[in-house]
Amino acid sequence: MVVMATRPGALEIRSFQVGFGDCFLLSFFYGTGNRRHVLIDFGSTGITERGKKAPDSLAKHMAKIAGAIKNVCGADGLAAVVATHRHADHINGFGTDSKSGKSGIVIRDLAPKVVLQPWTEDPGAAKDATTATRDSSRSLRSTASVVASLAAMNRIAEQVTKLAARPPAWMSLAVQKELMFLGMSNLANRSAIDNLIAMGRRSGSTAVWAHHGSKSGLERLLPGVTVRVLGPPNLKQTDAIRKMRSRDPDEFWQLLAGTAAARDGRGVADLSAARGGGPPVPAGARWFRDRLDRLTGEQLLEIVRTLDQQMNNTSVILLFEVFGRKLLFPGDAQIENWSYALEDAPDAAATRKLLADVDVYKVGHHGSLNATPRKALWEKFSRRKNAELHTMLSTMPGKHGHATSNTEVPRRTLLTALAAESRLQNTMDLGFGAKGKLCNVLRLVPGQSPKAWAEPE
Amino acid sequence: MPTEPTTAAAAPVDRVPVRYMTIVAQDPSVRRDGRILTARVAVPAEDLRAGPVGYRVQLVDYDASTRRFHGAHQLPARYEEEPSAWRTGSPAIVGDFRFHAQNVYALVMITLARFEFALGRRIGWSFETHQLKVAPHGMRDANAFYSPVQEGLVFGYFDGRSGPVYTALSHDIVVHETTHALLDALRPRYMIPSNPDQAAFHEALGDIVALLSVFSLPELVAHVMAPAASAAAPAVKTIARSQCTPEALRQNALFGLAAQMGQEVSGVRGEALRKSARLDPSRRILDTPEFREAHRRGEVFVAAVLRAFIEAWSDRILSSGLNDQRAFPLARVAEEGADIADALATLWIRSIDYMPPVHLTFSDALTAALTSDTRVRPDDSRFALRRHLKRSFAQYGIAPVATAADNDCWSPPPANLAFDRIRFESLRTDKDEVFRFLWENQLPLKLRTDAFTRVSSVRPCVRVGPDGFFVRETVAEYYQVARLTPAELKAKQIVAPPALVAHLVQSGATRRRAAPAPAAFDPAPESGGLVADAAEAPESLLPALYGGGVLIFDEYGRLRFHVYNDVFGRRQSARLAYLWQEGLLRIRNGGAAYAAARLSTLHRLRAMDARKWPSEGW
Repeated sequence: MVVMATRPGALEIRSFQVGFGDCFLLSFFYGTGNRRHVLIDFGSTGITERGKKAPDSLAKHMAKIAGAIKNVCGADGLAAVVATHRHADHINGFGTDSKSGKSGIVIRDLAPKVVLQPWTEDPGAAKDATTATRDSSRSLRSTASVVASLAAMNRIAEQVTKLAARPPAWMSLAVQKELMFLGMSNLANRSAIDNLIAMGRRSGSTAVWAHHGSKSGLERLLPGVTVRVLGPPNLKQTDAIRKMRSRDPDEFWQLLAGTAAARDGRGVADLSAARGGGPPVPAGARWFRDRLDRLTGEQLLEIVRTLDQQMNNTSVILLFEVFGRKLLFPGDAQIENWSYALEDAPDAAATRKLLADVDVYKVGHHGSLNATPRKALWEKFSRRKNAELHTMLSTMPGKHGHATSNTEVPRRTLLTALAAESRLQNTMDLGFGAKGKLCNVLRLVPGQSPKAWAEPE
Repeated sequence: MPTEPTTAAAAPVDRVPVRYMTIVAQDPSVRRDGRILTARVAVPAEDLRAGPVGYRVQLVDYDASTRRFHGAHQLPARYEEEPSAWRTGSPAIVGDFRFHAQNVYALVMITLARFEFALGRRIGWSFETHQLKVAPHGMRDANAFYSPVQEGLVFGYFDGRSGPVYTALSHDIVVHETTHALLDALRPRYMIPSNPDQAAFHEALGDIVALLSVFSLPELVAHVMAPAASAAAPAVKTIARSQCTPEALRQNALFGLAAQMGQEVSGVRGEALRKSARLDPSRRILDTPEFREAHRRGEVFVAAVLRAFIEAWSDRILSSGLNDQRAFPLARVAEEGADIADALATLWIRSIDYMPPVHLTFSDALTAALTSDTRVRPDDSRFALRRHLKRSFAQYGIAPVATAADNDCWSPPPANLAFDRIRFESLRTDKDEVFRFLWENQLPLKLRTDAFTRVSSVRPCVRVGPDGFFVRETVAEYYQVARLTPAELKAKQIVAPPALVAHLVQSGATRRRAAPAPAAFDPAPESGGLVADAAEAPESLLPALYGGGVLIFDEYGRLRFHVYNDVFGRRQSARLAYLWQEGLLRIRNGGAAYAAARLSTLHRLRAMDARKWPSEGW
């Protein structure tokens, strides 16, 4: 009988090429034949590089990545799956339908023992979702109402995607492009969500709904590894902050969602309708009418951006500590999520100290403007000196944001800092097709320098 | 064959100076005996076409969310012809779009009239055309905003707990948005990022004029004070002396109204009244990170004004009547409150002319208010507004500018000005004549000769003092603008943030090698350095520096005040640092441009109580 070691002797982190998305596989080695694998996110909203034709369909590509994950895990299966938040570029690989190449079936067959998601994904919390979404009263504010708002975002995304697919004449190309991208990211991914729930409910599996300071459920699966949940804060925790403020931002967030979704269920869809249904607009008022039409697209974009950001901020932030090394996986958490752990939480000072000597940092939100707090986090990473910090970035340029407004993803100034001050592994360097590589790998062994390489298909 | 006339045949019109209209006193949530509290207001009369369309406002009831036009509304020709449901505040008016149209039209017009009365002249909009466009049901959105690009106001609506909520039915929201449009007309550069106070002031003035406009309705003040009243005799309600202290008035009037205001609709802009009313004074409050956010910072300014309003009101009641008078008639208490609110709103509107056209600080605004009020209303004994304002602002750490005269007003201009080549009559209306005045007096006025100068407006005005005498003044604004290289900035002892310069060098290095060296300064002949202008000047690395001032001439053509900010002055270093820290500069094509403000975004951030961390971004 082989006795499993009480702590890992090595760790390999794979960052798979999923275009604009995240897919990280952590493999902990506990001596010969004993490995525990944790999959953090599996999703993509695009693998088509600008100006190039994608070698595969997205479905085919995701099936290929699922196969690669299966190959790495082998008979060990998956110890755990982490879905940091609900965005398509993080979870659509868990779908079991043909749109995702049935890649979720492969993952399900690897029988994860823990399925870790943010508290906002708890299906039990959404039982009175419809009522709560449309009502912004303080008394009804609850986990259910927040969850319902996320569901409303999914419904809006569906309408927005349809609108952007057949844009009205007044909609500018820039607005259409961004609405389409955000719409696609926020689509419900029902198949993926159902599969995640089903995996957590399987016999021998546990579903964990995490918030700041809660147990991750991974400890018992990963002896010798400490896993801390740093985010997202739950409502009780954020309420503690709001006592000092006079207003509950959740109310407005729900109001936004309710407004865009609209009571009659048409909401965004109305925007693509033909003009009419009333008396003709007087000639002298048509100039303003046309301006209003254009303005509506911009306002819708503003609402969708806000809701999209709220979704990002439900991301689970995990800190792994293993043989004296620290690995930080923040999903797409942006500054609003980070601020609780770093500033407002009772243990914020201890967290800041804990994060100061992080060894491996998964770059937040594909390298966006606001997901790697510059002063509160990045500048505090002591291992940036002598470039001892390892960073892993999974992204694809040209998909999100605009260089003209300094919102492009990945943000060029962040890329410059990552390249100059850390050892960066970037999926942008992997390419696609025959000459492309499958994933970046980082191997950590106690007492040895980390090794990084790109693995072929 | 005779041609059909393209306009409707002229109908006989009552040539009366004002037209009375019913409006919602605050919003449909404020009710008395189950009926919406309404008020009757006097609107300047005009030939009003269906829409309604008047000479300053064009209302277009088009809903861009449903793409439906709700028709051109023909308003009742006179108050007596209004449906009784309007005048009695029937809950049915919430669904009556014709009433919505009247409500918005009347509130926009009385706000415009209030500004024109206070400033003593007609006020054009910030855009070239004459009519402000207004969409009372513009889109399904929990927002309302002024958009200079659209030349109009857009009021949204949304599904509330018990039915649709229309922002166009909220007195304070309509006046707030109209005030944005009017301030933009008077001080267009306040929309360009400069310092935390200036960004906050746009919101603060909107709130001040809106809230004081609500409180200037005696019907509404009597209504909110009613719970504190007792019946001394049938139909005679009184307020006990103990209910007239500042604290009691704050509780009864401010919080009383705040409690009744529609919770949902107040969410649209973040509960301005409730938040400002409960902001306790603190001299250090503006130094805290929370109050560096524009929407929160503005609340401090509003809190200081509301505090002065309550103190003046309390003083006025308690110092009237007999020394031992134990109660005061409710009607009189309400009337005094409404009068003080009206006087205070006028004071703040009038002060705009005395504010520098760029880089406004709260201290500048306070000094401008004290100066303009002293000019028109030298005797402050009735309401003691200046005394209360000074004390209240001091409690929030806001003092008149350090260079103010002994009476806390702007200091007079230098005495050695040259007028001998100036034509007095032309000076009242002609930009070229004012420019000549500046040209002849560059040194005593401390104008920078190496910056581009442009006179942007000359406005003669006649203000009426409470004593019935006229104060005739001419207000002229000018701007100075210059673009400098980092080396030139240094020579003028202006510090650009090192990180900004490094960024510019990094992003513009390649292009600059190919481009000719930038000139010492780029005069930007037409627009004088507007946002777009800065963005379209590829050879310019750093953002344009602005300066400029306002010249107040008296009726004899003498310069009474020169309120200005030096284009190369010490505020520029702090301004560049602020813009950089707050992420308000965009680096592109090797140059820096200003991030233009959008009021719709600001309102949304405010409603969400959003916090920004610009220093944490990339």
